[in-house]
Formats: sequence, structure tokens, C-alpha cells
Amino acid sequence: MKRLIVDFSYSLNASKTYQKTKHFFYNLLENDTFQYKKYFDLFMITLIFMSVAILIREVKSHVSDYLLYFNNYIISIIFLTEYLLRLWVNSSITEIIIKRSEYDAMLNTKFNLSIALLDILKVKIRYIVSARAIIDLLAIIPFFHQLRLLRIFILFRVFKLFRYARSFQTFTSVLATKKFEFITLLMFSGIVIFVSSVLIYVMEANNPDSPIDTLYEAVYWSIVTISTVGYGDITPVTDAGRFVAMLVIIAGIAVLAFTTSIVVSAFTEKLDEIKETKIVDDVSKLKQFYLICGYENVAEEVAKKLLSHSNVIVLDEDVKRIENAKKDGLIALNYDPGSVESYKKLRIDIDTQVKAILCLRESDVENVYTALTVRSINKDVFILSILMNDIHRNKLNFAGVNEILYAKELVGMIAKEFVGKPVAFEVIHALRSDYSNIDIEEIVVNERMLESFYCVAELHNSKYRVVLLGIYKQKNKRFLFNPIDTTLLEQGDYLLVIGNSMFIREFNKYLHQKISQ
Amino acid sequence: MKKITALIFGYNDYAFEIAKNIEHKYRDICIFKLNSDEATLQKKNYKIKNFDFSDEWDELKNTFDMQKSIAFCVLEDDAENIFLTISLRSSFKDLSIIALSKNKESANKLSMAGANKVIPVVQTTASIIADMLKKPVVTEVLHDILYEKSDLKIAQIQVEKDNFFDGKYPADIEWSREHGIIVLSIMHEDMSSEFIYSSKVQHHVIKNGDIFVVVGYENEIKEFEKSIGSRCDVDWDNWSR
Repeated sequence: MKRLIVDFSYSLNASKTYQKTKHFFYNLLENDTFQYKKYFDLFMITLIFMSVAILIREVKSHVSDYLLYFNNYIISIIFLTEYLLRLWVNSSITEIIIKRSEYDAMLNTKFNLSIALLDILKVKIRYIVSARAIIDLLAIIPFFHQLRLLRIFILFRVFKLFRYARSFQTFTSVLATKKFEFITLLMFSGIVIFVSSVLIYVMEANNPDSPIDTLYEAVYWSIVTISTVGYGDITPVTDAGRFVAMLVIIAGIAVLAFTTSIVVSAFTEKLDEIKETKIVDDVSKLKQFYLICGYENVAEEVAKKLLSHSNVIVLDEDVKRIENAKKDGLIALNYDPGSVESYKKLRIDIDTQVKAILCLRESDVENVYTALTVRSINKDVFILSILMNDIHRNKLNFAGVNEILYAKELVGMIAKEFVGKPVAFEVIHALRSDYSNIDIEEIVVNERMLESFYCVAELHNSKYRVVLLGIYKQKNKRFLFNPIDTTLLEQGDYLLVIGNSMFIREFNKYLHQKISQ
Repeated sequence: MKKITALIFGYNDYAFEIAKNIEHKYRDICIFKLNSDEATLQKKNYKIKNFDFSDEWDELKNTFDMQKSIAFCVLEDDAENIFLTISLRSSFKDLSIIALSKNKESANKLSMAGANKVIPVVQTTASIIADMLKKPVVTEVLHDILYEKSDLKIAQIQVEKDNFFDGKYPADIEWSREHGIIVLSIMHEDMSSEFIYSSKVQHHVIKNGDIFVVVGYENEIKEFEKSIGSRCDVDWDNWSR
């Protein structure tokens, strides 16, 4: 029997479908980053509101039996299923059994099933008694009882909202940081309420004019007064009672001011953190972006240029530079780009999200460090780095940087161009700069284009007033300058065209549209 | 006018990189070290001289033919660089000055100070990085043309035999099929440059004195050159044209 259980646990633990199912439900219920969770949450929130709406409707008028049936059974069963699923995914029974059996095997003793069961029970009970689980359980109760009073448990379903709405969780977590202050406040107001209600009861209960006759009324009066609400339905009539009232009112002002200030300060302290969590969330949702590590002079300029056509994220460990980046309208995060931990915390998936990583710190040490860090978590991403001192070039190469830019060498080459080929230089410079309206663009040949164009002669580029400089053949990585008319186009090739940017756009449109004509 | 001497002001890596890249082009290369520079490294076999900001360029005038010289101002400090440029410009009206600047702001100041060409280091690096990422293929091809990794050339050719074109408009000529070259732009006599497909060029008959900017392989350019005119030298005074 024991043997059977252990064997079964092993096979279940190794089963792919079982683990996959469990993982799916875990994601659906607990993982905020899972893409379908929000739909599930929305569905549950709708059920809760429907449930509450039925409860309200039921108070004064008759509700159709179908709705009541829906409310009592269907919704409850859905909630029950959710509760059981949560109980299931919360911990793994099979793992506990396996762990226990391996532990026993290691100690060379017989496998003790009862201890394993006890362990399981402990873990599950720990979950069952947690506040969230209790609320979940209470929300199911209307299913079991038709009693009028227990209908009120439907309101527990409203508490379930806390589970599904993230802002509630932020709110409670922020307030939780001020636990000590709130306890102090609660103690203070508790003592004041207790003392004042006893006092007012002693002073007024025997006075026939006074509306305060019971201790319950005294407590009610003092809570109404200390909260500065002051309905006025119960008022002290004796001098001594009024004196107590004055003390309670003064204490009430203090309590109110204190509460407000605690909440406000809790939020101001946490504001940056909340904002950052929001940014991190946004970043993890972005599809494609450039990651700039280090925000200094070159980085500023690069970011400006890239921002026009793509998302740019800046990482820097220096607060001041991050401030600058934010001022320049970038998404900037104060994380060390040279630490693996940062990428984990930011939940950046380098494979799918990052187009290229740019190490633009003006320090070779930092850039080597960042490049090496990135390479250690991803082998394929394109890394570009600037180089400050030529003697460090091989270190960057070794760290796995794909492209190295050495400003001093660039200046040397530019000087050479200036003196050697000024015409070429000026022409290329004019083509590159954004100021002239003449542009050079690359148009990638895709399947759709190939359906209507298969060789160069068919492009009719001169009709669109663009110059076809050449074709970059993806297959053999060669540039064919001024290709002859019969040159075949292939998928993945690039057409390099020069012309007025507007005409290039038109030409590009024509290339992609022809199929429909 | 052919330049034969390069004067590089500044004693740093920029200066050495420039010297290394242009040494095949000039008979004389001289690096000037600012007196206050505490330089210990001794680099190769360049002529090293000292200079200061006292505005006494007599020695320079006597040693080099300033008409045939080109000056590079590559001091690390932008303010000093601007001062040096102004000083050189006020003493030598015709000297070609290329200056290095850290950012765009001092680039403007350097042009005002009289530099013929300014290289803003940060901007240049940044735009190369951005181009590499945005248009990788274009950047690769252009770099190959610029840095002589491919045989493609860009040249400027002046029309001297306009009867070759027989009064045709530039748009009517099949440049690439007939001559194996691509004409990018045409400069008129008034030195305004127009892109080949611009509407202005469409109504312009090719005349003597027009200058074509063409892309092509050396042989084709030579052929084309033979049939219509001659390759023109760079006009150093109107560099940017």
C-alpha cells in the first residue's frame, strides 16, 4: 500500500500532463504576469457583482427562482471549484510524499506514511487558515445554508474582490507598512473610548433627562463623538457629562489628524516604489525595445535618435543620470545593468523583447562588465558597446560584444574621408542626416512582394522617382550595385533606394499594394 | 589647391588616430603640443612641436606654406579648441581648419570661430550607432563605400562636352543601363545641388559646367568621365558644397 502511494506520487510528479495542468491553474490563479489571468479575474469580479446585485434586489422584492438558483448554486459551485483549485495548486502533495520517502530512504528507515500525511495536513491547514482562504470559504457558504442571516455571507464575496483587483492589494500593502502607527492609534482611541463611555455612563445613566441609559448607548455615543461625526441623537445633559464630551471631542481631533497623516505619509513614502512597480509592469509588457545601459553623453544622443521609431529603455545605477533620462522623456529604471538580478527583477525576456543591448557608459570597465553579465544570461542578443581606450578592445571582444565603436578611431576615419574623398563624404552625410529631404532606405523583399515582382525590371522605380542603388543579397551577404534588369529578387533581400522620403514611402506602398490591383 | 601639409593641434589619441589615417595623403604631418600639456608618451615618428595661445604664429608661417596646409584642432578642452580656432583663423584667412567638438553647442561655436568643418564627436558616434540599428544594410553598404572596403566610388564629374547629351533632360537618360553608373545629383553653375529626380532637374537641360555626383565602379566612372568631361577637384573654400 505504502509502496503503491510512493510509486504513484513519483509517476504523478513526473507526468507532463499533470504538471502542465497544475502549472496552468497556478498561473491562472496566482501569477499576475500570466496573460489570461486578467480575464479570469474579470469573470470572477462580474460574478461577485451579480451576486451582490441579486442580494440587494431580494431585500424588497421578489427575485425569480432561476436567479436565486443561479446565485445559490452555480456561482457557489464556481467559487467552490476555485477554492479547491487554490488549495490544490498551493502546495504539492506528491512532492511532500516523495521528499519524505527519500528522507526515510536516506536514513535507512521504513517509509512512514503517517508523518508524510501529517506534513501534508500541516501545509494545507496553513493555507486554509490564511485570511484570504477564510474569506474564500465564507463566500461559498450561501450555497450550504438557506438561512436568511447567512445570506449576509454573500457580502464576503465582495471581500473576494481584494483578490482580483491589484490596486486593493497595493493599498493594503502600503498601509501594512504603518502597522506600528496604526496599532498605537487603535490603542489610544480604544482607551479613550473605553474611559469616556464608562465615565459618561457613570455620570448620565442615573439622570432621568439623559438619553444615555445603557453602557451600549454610552459606547455608541463615544465612538460617534471621537470620530468627529457627532450625530447629535444622543447628547449629554449633565455638566460632568458635557465635560467628558469636551475631552472626547479634543481627543477626536487628535485621532482624526493622526489617522490622516499616517495614511498620507505611508503613501508618500511608497509612492516611488508604486510608480516603479508600474513601470516594471509596463516594461515587461513591451514587445520590442532597445536597452541602453548607462546614460551619458553618447547615450543621450542615441536615445534621441532611436526614440522616433522604437521603444527605448534606460538602465543605470546612478540616480542622477536616471533623473536626466526621465527628463528626456525616456523610460528609465534605476537598476544596475551589470547585475543578473536586475534583469530578473525587471522580468525582461532578452530573447523576445530586446532588439539590441547598447553599452554606452563612458567607462570600458563598466561596459565590459555589463556585456559579460548580459552574455551570461543570453548567448544570442546583439550587443553594441562603445570603447574609450583602444587597449581594452580585446576585453570587449572577449566579453562577447558584437559591435564595438571607438570614437577616436571614427574621428580618424572621418578625417581621412574629409581629406581623401570629400565628395563621397558629403553625399553620404547628406543622405544620412535628417535635415535634407533626400533619404536612403532599405526595403526588405517579402513573400507578398515576390508575388507581383520577381525581377528588377518590374520594379519601375524611376516612375516613382527613386534611385535603386542596389540589392543586398541576404543569401551570400553581398551587395549588388546597379543590378541589371534580369536580376531575380529573393525573399530576404534588401532593396537600397535613394530618393525623396515621400517618394520612397509611395514606392514602398506600391510594392506592397500591387497584388490587390 | 593641393594640400601638402597637415598641422594637428593637440597631443592625444584623437591626434594620433588622425595622423595615422591621413599620413599617406600628406608629405608633412606635424603634431603640436600645448605647452601646458604634461605629456609623457612619445609616439612614433611624427614631428612634435610645442605651441601656446600667445597668438605668435610667425614660426609657423615661416616653416609651412599655410596656403597648402590643413589644420586639425583636436584639443581635449572645447573652450581651448575654440580659442585656438579663432586664433588660427584671425592669422590665416585661407587656412582650412577642421575642428573637433564634444557636443553640438560647441560645434556651432567652432563654426562661428571660423572652422571649415566641425566633427561633433558625441553626435557622430551616436548617429552611427543609431543608423547601425535602424538601417543596418544601408549603413554597411555606405561604410564600405566610404572606408574603401568595396570598389564602389562616389565621384564628382564636371560636364565639358554637353553635345554628348544632345540637349536631353537628365530624367530621359538611362544612366544605369547606358553608362553603368548611378547619378545622384546635379550641381548647377550657381552651385546649388539638386537631387536627380527633383522636379527642378526634370526641366533642366544639361549644359557645360554642370557637375554630376555619381556612384559606380572606378572603370565605369572613368569611361563616363572620358565621354563627358573631367573629374573635378574639391573646392576647399566651399567645402560643404
